[in-house]
Amino acid sequence: MGPLYKFGWFDFAYSLQLAALIGFFFGFVLERAGFGNPRKLTAIFYLRDFAVLKVMFTAIVVCILGLLYFSIFGWIDLSRVHILPTYIWPQIVGGLLLGVGFLIGGYCPTTSVVATASGKLDGVIFTLGMVFGSLIFALVFPLIQGFYSSGHMGAVRLPDILKINSGIIAFLVCLMAVGAFWMAEKTEKKFGNKETLPVGSANIKRTGATLLILLGLILAVINPDRPVFSKSSVPVISTEETEQVEPSVPKAGAPSPNQFKIVDDEGC
Amino acid sequence: MNERYTNPYLIGVILGLILLFSFYTMGRGVGSSASFSRIAAAGVKLVAPDQAKANIYFAKYMRGGKSPLLAWLVFLTLGAALGGLFSAFIANRIKGEVARGPSIGVSARLWLALAGGVLSGFAARLARGCTSGQALTGASELAFGSWIFMLCVFAGAYATAYFFRKEWL
Repeated sequence: MGPLYKFGWFDFAYSLQLAALIGFFFGFVLERAGFGNPRKLTAIFYLRDFAVLKVMFTAIVVCILGLLYFSIFGWIDLSRVHILPTYIWPQIVGGLLLGVGFLIGGYCPTTSVVATASGKLDGVIFTLGMVFGSLIFALVFPLIQGFYSSGHMGAVRLPDILKINSGIIAFLVCLMAVGAFWMAEKTEKKFGNKETLPVGSANIKRTGATLLILLGLILAVINPDRPVFSKSSVPVISTEETEQVEPSVPKAGAPSPNQFKIVDDEGC
Repeated sequence: MNERYTNPYLIGVILGLILLFSFYTMGRGVGSSASFSRIAAAGVKLVAPDQAKANIYFAKYMRGGKSPLLAWLVFLTLGAALGGLFSAFIANRIKGEVARGPSIGVSARLWLALAGGVLSGFAARLARGCTSGQALTGASELAFGSWIFMLCVFAGAYATAYFFRKEWL
């Protein structure tokens, strides 16, 4: 049962080799998609090429469905998956700034690595810039640490916020994805360059969209949040809460700068 | 340059499976921006070890006397560089160049790349992740903050796009 690492299947040294392997495939597919090219990446913001949206949204939907189906089949214990905690204010401001940095620089962090590897000097400069930006962040951290830990809501998920089970959320995300893809294709036809856009058969697209909606619908009906599907003795939701909220207690309880500790902030 | 890229939906499915594999084996998704922060920490540690230890943000990378570079995400980023290199190599896309639109000069593009990089590096630390560590990973977990983060990334870029159109179009 997964996650294998959390059940002691292998040690830290092996996990680093696995990281390199996962990273290899990650970098490989990003380059395949053309994401080492900043003009391809930024084309979405000029409505010419929606590859970024298509890749990201497809990957997210596949992974959402995969995680929920895996948990239903008993292949993964979702309560042991690290859920990213929500710090709403820094996430909003950081997100906006990252978007601006993406547009000006032409890359996001991982794609700049791929660009660097394929010989782009602007990618190298962007990467060095990120090291420098992280350094600035660390230097001014004492001044902004109040904001950095503001809006802490714990490891909340959309099902907790919207108070509907994750199966229905997955179904809604599937519908959203299909709608977004449809709009993206329409917009590309209008503004895009037909020579560089990938060709795809309409039949495969229709089949894919139907499959997504069907898989989402099944999840919505069987409700993967039911404790039946959790092999651990405690229901999924409650363990998630204890596992995540516990380490962040010092942060929420005592915001005094001397006691400030960053717990498990591996982020991106 | 060879611009015949793979169909984005196919890439998306494969990327989703890679992400799922990462969750299945490690219980966590992918990411990369923390690697750059760790590289910065390692650099400071090399030049001024006391200052690195005194910095409360960098100190967390060195808990227990470990090297800041001995981390999961650093190895993932190294792997991503190799994977990107391999893909670019077999597609005949390795070429020393400055990628830019037709109406911007080389030095202007490089300054903007630097500015964008500095801003992104800072923003990724503030948001605790970037487009992979927050958006891809968090959205797959249905994490609330990550969805908001992802919407904000797109909002920020769309809001800026008009002013920098000469850089790309």
